[in-house]
Amino acid sequence: MLMQISEPGQTPEPHQRKLAVGIDLGTTNSLVATVRNGSAQTLADLDGEHLLPSAVRYGEEARVEVGETAMAGASLDPRNTLMSIKRLMGRSFADVSESAGIKMSPYELLDLGQDMVKIRTRAGDVSPVQVSAEILKSLGRRAEETLGGELTGVVITVPAYFDDAQRQATKDAATIAGLNVLRLLNEPTAAAVAYGLDQNDEVAIAVFDLGGGTFDVSVLQLTKGVFEVLSTGGDSALGGDDFDNALAQWFLAENKLTSLDMFQQRSLLTAARQAKEALSNQNEVELALGEVSSTLTRQQFNELVDPLIDKAIRACKRALRDAKLRTDDIHNVVMVGGSTRVPRVRERVAEWFGREPLVDLDPDKVVALGAALQADQLVGNRSGDEMLLLDVIPLSLGIETMGGLTEKIIHRNTTIPVAMGQEFTTFKDGQTGMAVHVVQGERELVEDCRSLARFELNGIPPMVAGAARIKVTFQVDADGLLRVTAREESTGSESRIEVKPAYGLSDTDIADMLQQSWASAVDDKEARALREQQVEAEALLQAVSAALLQDGEAMLSESEQRELLAKMEALHHERESGTAASIAKHIEIVGKGSEVFAERRMDASINQALAGRRVDEI
Amino acid sequence: MSEFNPRENYFVLLAVPQSYEVSQSDLTRRYRELQRDAHPDRFAGGSERERLRAVQSSSQINEAYETLVSPTRRAAYLLKLAGVDSDMSSTTFKDPEFLMQQMELREELSELQSAKDPEAALDVFYRDLDNAADKQKTAFSKHYDQLQYDDALASYAKLQFLEKLRSEAELKERELLDY
Repeated sequence: MLMQISEPGQTPEPHQRKLAVGIDLGTTNSLVATVRNGSAQTLADLDGEHLLPSAVRYGEEARVEVGETAMAGASLDPRNTLMSIKRLMGRSFADVSESAGIKMSPYELLDLGQDMVKIRTRAGDVSPVQVSAEILKSLGRRAEETLGGELTGVVITVPAYFDDAQRQATKDAATIAGLNVLRLLNEPTAAAVAYGLDQNDEVAIAVFDLGGGTFDVSVLQLTKGVFEVLSTGGDSALGGDDFDNALAQWFLAENKLTSLDMFQQRSLLTAARQAKEALSNQNEVELALGEVSSTLTRQQFNELVDPLIDKAIRACKRALRDAKLRTDDIHNVVMVGGSTRVPRVRERVAEWFGREPLVDLDPDKVVALGAALQADQLVGNRSGDEMLLLDVIPLSLGIETMGGLTEKIIHRNTTIPVAMGQEFTTFKDGQTGMAVHVVQGERELVEDCRSLARFELNGIPPMVAGAARIKVTFQVDADGLLRVTAREESTGSESRIEVKPAYGLSDTDIADMLQQSWASAVDDKEARALREQQVEAEALLQAVSAALLQDGEAMLSESEQRELLAKMEALHHERESGTAASIAKHIEIVGKGSEVFAERRMDASINQALAGRRVDEI
Repeated sequence: MSEFNPRENYFVLLAVPQSYEVSQSDLTRRYRELQRDAHPDRFAGGSERERLRAVQSSSQINEAYETLVSPTRRAAYLLKLAGVDSDMSSTTFKDPEFLMQQMELREELSELQSAKDPEAALDVFYRDLDNAADKQKTAFSKHYDQLQYDDALASYAKLQFLEKLRSEAELKERELLDY
């Protein structure tokens, strides 16, 4: 940093404010905000619109349109008008082809294996990162034109449950857009910052973020400008779109309609959304599709959406449990996301938490406002009352160990940045290489977690099994991005990588994995027991085989050898196809069966050690 | 699990006396003060090197805090500082009273499902666990202060046992209350 030195007697220029903005890069809409005259405000485009639809159209003659203009082309040019692209960030084709929203989309998605999916447009094959970059570029330009200068840096918000790949993709998009990213900030944390809620006493708050397609809940502890996230959770397949669907389903059943074409489906969903919005202010509404129409009361609507709100409440329960708090401990509930405008949602939240939620700030803008406040501080415009945002990692990180088990190294809800190391050792004598497989998720078996990266550590000096000490260190920075290093401690052979996965978990994967991890705790335990017995069987078989090769001929009779081999054969068979209990039984049989052999080997080695020594020396 | 760096004593870092009894509010206050200065957000405009260093020192502060704030991890850390190996993989208990208590707690846990009001039964169970843990914490503290490390180690092992029971209870809670 350069020091400013002023001439004696001259005062330096008044502190030059740097231009910094917060960007909410949303699934449906995006926003840019900045701090002006001491308060955060969102910036409008030339037409006075604050929300920029997150849509990009690749038009004729290499023209790229963003926002409202792009949306206008959606019906004429669906294949080249890209919307809801956030759902594809950091995702492979296999990840997203399952999700209903994408299935319905008219895009031509390219399957690039493990790599991030691309979309075929008239401008060529584009990556979701490039599409997001167009949206960011448009918002950056809006900010520079409004503020009259170049931006020093931006804070971009991401859902709290975004994994490494999704965060990296978001950061890459900003780089492509030519923006300097000061920080990736979790959306619920940004909302808490926007509300300020600065107090001297320590209080806990909950952020309830119900958007179009996802639900996110975070519990934070606030005190004197410190925002400490205690836990985060949610349901990444739950949002206002599901409310619309429930209404549409009701309408179909009510009127005994069965098959609708694509066009009718679209109009029905649009009518359902309008009906939902109307019910926020009136007690009943007419829902119509062509000639057919039905009256829907608010009471009926509430009954339709209650099961969906139940799911959100369950996620709140879990988040509180993880934070080790009860509803009485929650001082405030902050509402974020357009779907929190639904009165029934507010009612249920108020009822469950036992207090009225905060709705003072526009739930669509609150995230961008918080990001702006953070950006302002990070470029050094704010001094004195500095905030401190301490976030957590949403999903556990671990590595694969023997038998396809996961060894968790960083548990979910651990405060970031964080560095954790774990030591591993070799399994076989003379083993010189070791594959490190990094996974993310809550389940015990590797195959049930998301694979993030693989790398190999070579050049381990040959040693007996268990003698090498391999230390794997995970470092997660304040943006939630991971870097893994591994090193053989006794010789210092090092393999350093920065994990940049080509894809990550799909949103639904994350929710599913979290849910399944509870449901299948019992399964996992059995599976773990089985793997452990398999590993133990393998180790025993290797040890006995090695001993047989060395001393079998010399110390065992032929029939003894045959007998022991038969037992080993049986154990080998059980290891392949048996249960944990049956393998354990055969481990015992082989153990017993080799006792005599082990004793003779022991005697032999003692005899050898004693050979040539006089009794009184011992 | 965590990296042990003998050059940096977590108690010194967090400015609390090296003892099992720690003031949570002192710990938390000092932790936040340290993070205010060390957090990478303080170096958003700094060089790559400065930012990397901030990530490292901020991580270490987090690790120190999480170690000292957890009663079980704090006990393990104190044993480590005293040069006592706290690896529990082969520990057996020779304390019949504790074994009896374990059996009772296990029985209580397995009966939760059939309780009339499982939520209330869970609350009782958690309270029993807390009481049992408090007893071991007091014992650990006393033994540790009197340099009776074998006894301190035994209390630590029991604390770990109780913690395992707690996580099993939490799993059960999720099943019972449909989280």
